Amino acid sequence: MKQGLHIPEELLNQIEYILAHLAEKAHTDSIVLADISGQVISQQGIMDEGTPDVVAALAAGDVAAMSELSKRIGENDPHGSFFHEGESKSIYLHNIAGSFILIVIFRAETPIGLVRLFAKRAVEQLLTITEEFEEAMGPVTTFIPDDFSTGVTQALEDIFPDD
Amino acid sequence: MFINWKLREINLKIVYYGPSLSGKTSSLEYIHSRTHPESRGELISLKTREDRTLYFDYMQFKMGEISGLKPRFNIYTVPGQVYYRGTRKLVLKGVDGIVFVADSQLNRLEENVDAIKDLYQDLEELGYVPREVPLVLQCNKRDLPDIVPIPTLKEQLGLNGVPTFESIAVDGEGVLDGLKTIVNSVVTKARGKINPSPVSLGEQSD
Repeated sequence: MKQGLHIPEELLNQIEYILAHLAEKAHTDSIVLADISGQVISQQGIMDEGTPDVVAALAAGDVAAMSELSKRIGENDPHGSFFHEGESKSIYLHNIAGSFILIVIFRAETPIGLVRLFAKRAVEQLLTITEEFEEAMGPVTTFIPDDFSTGVTQALEDIFPDD
Repeated sequence: MFINWKLREINLKIVYYGPSLSGKTSSLEYIHSRTHPESRGELISLKTREDRTLYFDYMQFKMGEISGLKPRFNIYTVPGQVYYRGTRKLVLKGVDGIVFVADSQLNRLEENVDAIKDLYQDLEELGYVPREVPLVLQCNKRDLPDIVPIPTLKEQLGLNGVPTFESIAVDGEGVLDGLKTIVNSVVTKARGKINPSPVSLGEQSD
C-alpha cells in the first residue's frame, strides 16, 4: 500500500461529484470515502465535526477484519462489501481495490438494493479516479513548506504546555 | 500521511505499540485529557469485557493553519495481547511514526523483546523499511520495583540511539515528552529531512 498520499484539488472535485451523485440517487444520509488506513479523503452529508474521522478509523478496522474473515473461508476479493442493518440507520461498506473504503450511511427505510446498486456504480467510477492518484503522485516532501516543522513544534508547546 | 490539497489538511498517523498492559491505553487517555477540547476529537476505545483493548484506541488532535497547511494527528494504540497480532498489523497500515511503550519491569523484558520483533516484522510485511520509520521509546512503569535499567532495556530491544523517555503513564509523567518528540520526528521526516537522533529534554543517554 502507499505510505504517502496526496490528492490534487481537481481529483477531489471529481470524487465529490461522484459521492454527491450517489447521495442523491440512493437517498443516503452521509457518505465517507477513506483510505485503507482509516484517513478521510472526502465526505458528503452532514456529520458532527470529528465524526467522519472516527467513522473512517472504525471502518478501516472493520474492513480489515472482514478481509481476514473472508480469507479464512477461501475468499480473496479485494472488492468485498458488507453492511450493518440498524433499527434507524444502516451502514454499507465497500472495499475498493484493497486501497480505499466507501462508507455509506442510510436510513432504514431506504432499500439496501438501491444503495448497493448505486454504490457499485460509484465504486466503478472511483476505481478509475484512484488509478489516477498513482499518476498524479510525486514526492510528497516537495510540497511541504520549509517552515512547517518549526510551526508544528511551536503549536505542540501551545497545545501541551510544560507543567 | 495523506494530504488533502482542497482542504489543505495534512493527516499523519502515530501508533502506540508495545506488549500487553505496558501502558499504551493509559498514555492515550492522558494525552486526550491534556488536549484542549477544541483541538481534540473523541477518544474511541474498543475494549473487551475485561477492559482490555480489543481493536484499538483512537483519538485525533489538530492544529490551526501552519504555513498554509492544517496538521491533523491520528493517534492509535494497538491491542498488546499476543493473539491480536493481526489487529496490530492492520492498525500499522499507513503509519507515520511509532511510540514503543515498553513495560520496564524485569519480568516483562521478554515480552518487550517479542513485541519489537513483531513490530519490525509487521512493518516489513507492510512494505516499510522498519529502521526508517520514526520511533520513540517510552519506558513505562518507572515507579515500580524491579525495573530494568534504561541502557539495558534499550540494548535488549536494539533501540540504542532512539529517543527515549521514562514514564509513569497512569500519572502522565513523561507521556507528553514522548508524544512531542514523535510528532516532531514525523513532521521532520515528512519534510524529507531525516534526523536520526533528535535531541529533547528528558532524553536518556546510552
